[in-house]
Amino acid sequence: MSSRYLLVVVFTFCSLQPLFAQQLHQLIDQQIEQATSAPFAGQSTETEFLRRIYLDLVGQIPTTSETLEFLADENKDRRSRLIDKLLEDPRYARRMSEFFNVMLMERRGVDSDWQLFLTSSFNENMPWDEMVSHMVSPDTNSEETRGSAYFLTKRLEKYGQNPTDFPGLASDIGRMFLGMDLACAQCHDHLFIDDYKQADFQGLFAFINNSFIRNDTDYPAIGMKPVKVKLEFNSVFEEGTFSTGPKLPGLSEIPIPEFIAGEEFAVEPDKETKAPGIPKFNPLDFLAQQLPTRTNESFNLNAVNRIWFLMMGRGLVHPLDLHHSDNPPSHPQLLTLMGQQFANNNYDIKWLIRQIALSKAYQRTGTITPRVADAKHKEYRVYAEKPLSAEQLMWSMLTATGQLQLIPSESKTENAGNSDPSEDKLDESLEGIRADFLAAYANPPREPETEFAPSVRGALFVLNGPRVLSWIPAKAGNLADVLSQQNGDYAKTLYLTILSRNPTSQEANYFNQHINSHSDKTKAIEQAIWALLASNEFAINH
Amino acid sequence: MSSNQTPNPLCTPVEHKFSRRHLLGAGAAASAMGIGGLGGLVQPLIADQMHQKEKQVLFIWIDGGMSQLESWDPKPNTQFGGPFRSIPTSIPGIQISELMPKTSQIMHKLALDRGVSTFDNSHSAGVPRINRGDPKDRGVIYPYFGSAVANLMGPGDSGLPPYVWVKPGSGGFKYQDAGFLGPRYGALAIGEGEPPPNILLPETVNSKQNDDRNALRKFANQQYSKTRPATFSEAQNFVFDTAEALMNRRSLFDDPDPKDVERYGDTPLGRDMLIGRKMIEAGVRFVKVNSYGWDTHGDNFNGHASLMPRFDQAFSAVVDDLDERGMLDHVLVIAMSEFGRTPRINGHIGRDHWPEAWSIAMTGTGIKQGAVIGETNAEGTWVTSEAHDIGHFFHTWFNALGIDSEHTEYINDGQPLPIANDDCSPIRELLA
Repeated sequence: MSSRYLLVVVFTFCSLQPLFAQQLHQLIDQQIEQATSAPFAGQSTETEFLRRIYLDLVGQIPTTSETLEFLADENKDRRSRLIDKLLEDPRYARRMSEFFNVMLMERRGVDSDWQLFLTSSFNENMPWDEMVSHMVSPDTNSEETRGSAYFLTKRLEKYGQNPTDFPGLASDIGRMFLGMDLACAQCHDHLFIDDYKQADFQGLFAFINNSFIRNDTDYPAIGMKPVKVKLEFNSVFEEGTFSTGPKLPGLSEIPIPEFIAGEEFAVEPDKETKAPGIPKFNPLDFLAQQLPTRTNESFNLNAVNRIWFLMMGRGLVHPLDLHHSDNPPSHPQLLTLMGQQFANNNYDIKWLIRQIALSKAYQRTGTITPRVADAKHKEYRVYAEKPLSAEQLMWSMLTATGQLQLIPSESKTENAGNSDPSEDKLDESLEGIRADFLAAYANPPREPETEFAPSVRGALFVLNGPRVLSWIPAKAGNLADVLSQQNGDYAKTLYLTILSRNPTSQEANYFNQHINSHSDKTKAIEQAIWALLASNEFAINH
Repeated sequence: MSSNQTPNPLCTPVEHKFSRRHLLGAGAAASAMGIGGLGGLVQPLIADQMHQKEKQVLFIWIDGGMSQLESWDPKPNTQFGGPFRSIPTSIPGIQISELMPKTSQIMHKLALDRGVSTFDNSHSAGVPRINRGDPKDRGVIYPYFGSAVANLMGPGDSGLPPYVWVKPGSGGFKYQDAGFLGPRYGALAIGEGEPPPNILLPETVNSKQNDDRNALRKFANQQYSKTRPATFSEAQNFVFDTAEALMNRRSLFDDPDPKDVERYGDTPLGRDMLIGRKMIEAGVRFVKVNSYGWDTHGDNFNGHASLMPRFDQAFSAVVDDLDERGMLDHVLVIAMSEFGRTPRINGHIGRDHWPEAWSIAMTGTGIKQGAVIGETNAEGTWVTSEAHDIGHFFHTWFNALGIDSEHTEYINDGQPLPIANDDCSPIRELLA
């Protein structure tokens, strides 16, 4: 495959049409490098790249054998081969489900049907436009995808004493799929963002203000009341009453058809099954048709901006949901170009991730030297640090300690809660573990996880919490067990397994001396494992 | 605020357009001085100012809106006065609601402003606006008062986090208050009087072993920091250091002395006020003690008859304790809500939200004890004296803490930002 790309590049170079046939990753680097005259950092080391790409594409650090395998690979194209391998790894779908769940649902909760939708979508590499179409207009007939309704239904659930948050749902559709946070344009045109109009908010609102959570299904499902009239609204600043039908920003209003009273439904409500009627006119059908389309530029730009954020830790437009003319992208042409190419490539998420991963920008080192000491994140002159998510920390700690193989296999699928609550015992199932990591590291519901926000809670979890500490002592085949059978040099295994790199000689001396000079070798090994798990280098994707 | 009134983003109480222009002039002069004189250099100067006595803040947040008519500004025997009488206080001629008998005895230790007039009669907008001091919009999210003080004055020598929030409900690390200052200036929340989870060293690790493992961790962090950017690592180190400081101060969460419980009241507010006092004694820079459930749209009078005594008891006890320990000379104490309640009594025998005319009480460092300023009209509907918005109070409190609020700025990504609304100024009558 790579040789074919090489041929294409050579060919296009000769034919003097480089812009046309260049691959996206090359265009990314052109744009990034043209934007500044300041110097760039060099390429990442092999282990730096290895750890980064594992965390980004499969959501965890590599196992020791995966690290050794990569370091032994002498092929020049080993990096691109690893990228391709990881994109086909079963853990890819798990990682993307976790990342997109956090991004789209902002820690509102979990749902097995929603999980199934995400996992199967990423397993099949479902195009992004199709995924969005499922989310805004779910198909109840498809068991595999109908959980997509959770995006809508969860937001219509009441929480606390708040009324059903229709405005929040409208604004989240704008945020997640158009990169526009219109929440402050609900009652008037946005005060400081000239591009955000009240009519934009109200147009989005008109798609969903007649929707409701269906209670006749055991999976998330959305119903729609017949929509007969336009939505009326007032501005707190302007006199008069305004009205709108469903309308996406920049597109035309969808006319609301008139039906004779009693003929609004294509399928009448069923009192026996409690199934609500299906109205002939459903604004969500139009949302699914008009929102995820190639001609909807905001949709394309938002999508690539969010995947860029996944890989680079910052959006080209940042914050991700404040795309407007006073908050321009750091690299406008690059964003436009990526948006076009993503749409032209059938919204192929793997293709886009692969292109970004192949870029020099992604593969730059995160090491700071005087030449790049003044680099700003948005210049991408150095690879910028990203925090590990709660899920990445969980999988990585499970992997590093060797605990992952020790989880009873039935508990990997079974739900938690079967253990005797009177016993003060840890729930050893994967779900029990996940609950602990979320409690320690996840943001509260409805808070985006886009900025680095370490917490005392998280520090206390790793310092004193029984969860991680219980994984450290030697058990058959785990890291402490492997180390206890070694003599003299422990640092190499420690560093390769936990930090996915070889120790420097200073590090090797320090850790080996600690263990070798300690009266209790077992304790000393446990302390060393803990120290690296609790280190900043472990908690950061660099 | 009536619905046809346009929310005014400037720091101007409703009835005082003239004083607003006056203030605008004064504000413009002050900010010009800020730019020409001290702008940009102020941050290091604050450190010097702080070298006096380590000043602290106890901020009592009465969430939902305490009724001024059932507390600081009663209007008995008037149209909207409600059923409660007023009682004399330790300041001759000053009366407060009969629901505050204990506070009435310490009135001479307090300062009270009955001429508070603010904007935003909704909780969702009012709470953040008041907590941020209603700064002018500069395209950033301003910090809440606690995060502001944490940033401007630092954590002090206690080793404890600079901003602790004692509250009912969930605890944990609440970074949202910090706004543009960033998560490290957020609040460590103590929920339900419970210590943060995992604060005890496990039985399997003794303190020597804890030191050993932390030495290894810190070595690893030093190695990493040699070639990596500082920001993330510093934030990580900060949360670990804070965690260790909390572990060393576990006794802060020990069961309270039963005598104290009796004096503060065996209520959530009594419990939290007591923890608040301990946190102040332990040297925490800013402690927010939070009481919920004051939004009495229905049955306001029974509601306040039950709520006010709990406040009265806990508040008077903490002021007395701080006074006895000589701590009021360096601790600023503030008690307030996001707004007052409507004089008009609604169909549910409740009072609704009323930012137009309410009261704020305070005492401690920099505050003139016994000062009672500001006046409302006979029905308590409007402020008749010069009205004070929250911006004025932020100036006042910063000055009480020794921070020159008119010349001190945050520097956010190179952008200087005033720490308090630059159309406002300190209320001199409240300052000692």
